Amino acid sequence: MAKFESLIKAALLACTMLSVLVTALIIASVFSETMRFFSEVSVLEFFFGTEWSPQTALRADQAGSSGAFGAIPVFIGTFLVTLIAMAVAAPLGLFAAIYLSVYASSGFRSWAKPVLEILAGVPSVVYGYFAVITVAPLLRAFGESIGLSIASESAMTAGTVMGIMITPYVMSLSEDVISAVPKSLSYGSLAIGATQSETIKRVILPAALPGIVSALLLGVSRGVGETMVVVMAAGLAANLTINPLESVTTATVQIVTLLVGDHEFDSNKTLAAFALGFSLFFMTLLLNVVALVIVKKYRERYD
Amino acid sequence: MTKFFQRRTRIAMDRAKKKKSPFLYKSYSSKPKHKRIRKRKAQERRFKNMGFIAIVISSLFLASLLWNVFMTGKSAFMEAQILLPVKFDSALVESEDYRDIVHNSLMGLFPDVVKRSNKRALFSMVSRNTHNELQSYIEENPQFIGTTQDVWVAASSAVSVFYKRHLYEQAERGGKIVPAEAAWITELARAGRMELKFNAMFFKNGDSREAEQAGILASTIGSFFTILVCIVMAFPLGVATAIYLEEFAKKNWFTDFIEININNLAAVPSIIFGLLGLSIYLNLFGLPRSSALVGGMVLALLILPVIVIATRNSLRAVPPSIRYAAAALGATPTQVVFHHTLIYALPGIMTGVILSIARAFGETAPLLMIGMVAFIADIPKTILGPATTLPVQVYLWSNNPELGFVEKTAAAIMVLLVLMILINLLAIYIRKKYEIKW
Repeated sequence: MAKFESLIKAALLACTMLSVLVTALIIASVFSETMRFFSEVSVLEFFFGTEWSPQTALRADQAGSSGAFGAIPVFIGTFLVTLIAMAVAAPLGLFAAIYLSVYASSGFRSWAKPVLEILAGVPSVVYGYFAVITVAPLLRAFGESIGLSIASESAMTAGTVMGIMITPYVMSLSEDVISAVPKSLSYGSLAIGATQSETIKRVILPAALPGIVSALLLGVSRGVGETMVVVMAAGLAANLTINPLESVTTATVQIVTLLVGDHEFDSNKTLAAFALGFSLFFMTLLLNVVALVIVKKYRERYD
Repeated sequence: MTKFFQRRTRIAMDRAKKKKSPFLYKSYSSKPKHKRIRKRKAQERRFKNMGFIAIVISSLFLASLLWNVFMTGKSAFMEAQILLPVKFDSALVESEDYRDIVHNSLMGLFPDVVKRSNKRALFSMVSRNTHNELQSYIEENPQFIGTTQDVWVAASSAVSVFYKRHLYEQAERGGKIVPAEAAWITELARAGRMELKFNAMFFKNGDSREAEQAGILASTIGSFFTILVCIVMAFPLGVATAIYLEEFAKKNWFTDFIEININNLAAVPSIIFGLLGLSIYLNLFGLPRSSALVGGMVLALLILPVIVIATRNSLRAVPPSIRYAAAALGATPTQVVFHHTLIYALPGIMTGVILSIARAFGETAPLLMIGMVAFIADIPKTILGPATTLPVQVYLWSNNPELGFVEKTAAAIMVLLVLMILINLLAIYIRKKYEIKW
C-alpha cells in the first residue's frame, strides 16, 4: 500500500515536472534557433540596425539578396502600437474599475460585469476583423474630415482596437487591487468630510498604486504579445516612424509573415523570426517579473 | 442690561463682517463656503461620470462589434438559387458532359444571347460546381435522362450578393456583374425563377475558392479534433500538477520555483507556443504539419497553466475539515485526495477547464505557426490529416476582399461566437448546479 502511495505521488510529481519541461523547451528551442541566427547576423546589427527587409531575393544577383535584419523599426512599431493600446486601455480600464468597485449599484454591476466578460472572451481574430472592416474606414473618414491622411493599416487602428481588447483585462486586475484596500481607510477619509472622489484620489489610489502599476505592466505585456489584431490591422512594411497615422509593423506580425507557408527552415529569414520570438519572450517575461516584484515589494500590510 | 448685550452683539457682528474678529467668522479660502462646496460636488460628479462613461464606451464598442458582424453576416445564411429548366440530353449524360448541359439550359432560358463575352457572363451566373450537382442529381434519379426537369441550382456568389442586397455599385467589388447580368437577374426574378433559399452549403462544405461553395464544416470538425486532443493532453496533466502542488508538495524553494514558473507560463504570448510547436513538434519529432494533433498539443501547452491555476483554486476552497475527517477514518493521503478532496473540487475544476477550452477554441496565432492555415476543402477524417480551425478559417476568409467572402467571414464569426457562448453557458450551468458553498 505504501508503495502504491509513493507511486502515485511520483506520477503526480512527474506531471508537475512536465510543466517545468515546457518552459525549458521553449527557452531551449527558441534560444538555439536564435543563436544560429546570431552566428549568421551580428547581434549589433539586429538590435541596433534600422533597416528591416528580411525577404531574401529569388536570384542571387538581385539587389538586397542577403536581406537586412535591423530590428529597430520592428521594435519601435511594437512599442508604438502598445503605447496607443495602453492610452486607450489604461483610462478606460481604471475608470471602469473604480466605478464598478466604488460607485456602481449592484443592479448596474450585474449588467456591466457580463458585458466586460464577453468583451474579454471575444477571440482576437474577431477584433482583427472588426478593426479592418469597421474601425479602419471610420478612422480614415474621420481623418479626411479634419484634413489628415491616415494609412489604411495604421498604428492608430491596431492600437485602438487592441486597447479595447485589453481594457477588460486591466479592469479586472485593478478592480481586485482596489477592492483589496481595507474599507477602514476609505471610511476614515469619508468620516473627516472628504467626498467619495477625494477619498479615491487621495486614499484608495495611493494605497493601491503598486497593484495598479503591475496591472498596467501586465496589460503592456499582453499588448506586446498580441498577434491577430496587428496581423490583420497593422502593416507589413517596417517603417521607422513614431507617427501613429502611418503604417508600422510589430514583432508578432513579422514572426507570422516570416513563418507562415514557409517550409524550408534553415534560411536567415525563418531564423530571424525565432530571434524576434526570443526578444518577445524575454520582454514579456521581464514585464511580468517586474510587475510581480513591484507588488511584492511595495504592498502595504494593513492588519 | 439687555440693551448692553444687544449692543455688544451688534458690535461683534459688525466686526465679524469687517473680518476683524477671529472668533465669529473665519474663512481659510478666499472663496465663500457655499462656492467651495459646490465646486467639490461638481468635481465629484465629474469623476463619477468618467467611470460611467468608460463602461459605456466599452459596452458601445461591444454592441457595435456584434451589430456589425450580425448585419454583415446574416445575409450569408441565405443564397440565391435559380430554377433552371435542365434538359438531360441522353447523349451528353452518356459522355458526362454536364458542363454542356448547364450551358444549354442557360441558353434555353436566354436564347437571344449570341456574343461570346455575353455567353461567358451568362454561364458564370450559376455556381461553378453546378455540373457536379447535376451529375449527382441524375445518379440519384436516372429516370430523368432524356427529359427536361426544373432544378434549383445555386447562383454564383456575385449574382447572389447582387440579388440579396440590390447593390449594383458595390457588386463591382466582386468584379463579376455586368449590366447584361443585372438585366437577366431582374428578368429571372420577375419570372419567379430566382429565389432566396437557406444556404445549406455553408454548413455542409469545406473551404472553396468559389465564395458560394465555401462552408465551415471542415474547419468546425478541425476545431473539434484540435480541442479533443487539447483536452486529452491538458486535462490530466494540469489536474495532476495542481494536485501535487496543492496537496503533496512541501513548502521549499523548489515548489516556489515551479509555482513562479507556471505563473509566468500563463503570461507567455500565445505565438511563442506556436514557435515551440514548430521547432519541437514539427522539426524535432517530425509530427505531421497542419494536423489537428499538433494543433491540439500546442493549445494544450497554452492552457495548461490556466487549468493548473483554476484547479488549485478549487482544491484550496475545499475546507480542511474534509481532509481531516477522511484521514481520521484511516484513509491514506492519496485516498484522502482522490476519494474526497478531488470529488468536492470537481465542479470548480470542470468550470475552469471548460473556460480554458473556450480560450483554446478562439485561439488563432499559434496555429498559424504550425501550418494549420492551409486551404482545406475536404472534411478532416483523422487527427493526423491536414486541418484548419474555425478562427483560422475566419482569418483566411477575411483576407479575401470579394463581397461573397466578406459576408461569409462575418457569418463564420457568428457561428464562432455562438459556439463560444454555448461553451461558456455550459461552464456557468455546471457552476450553478454543482457548486458547493462551504
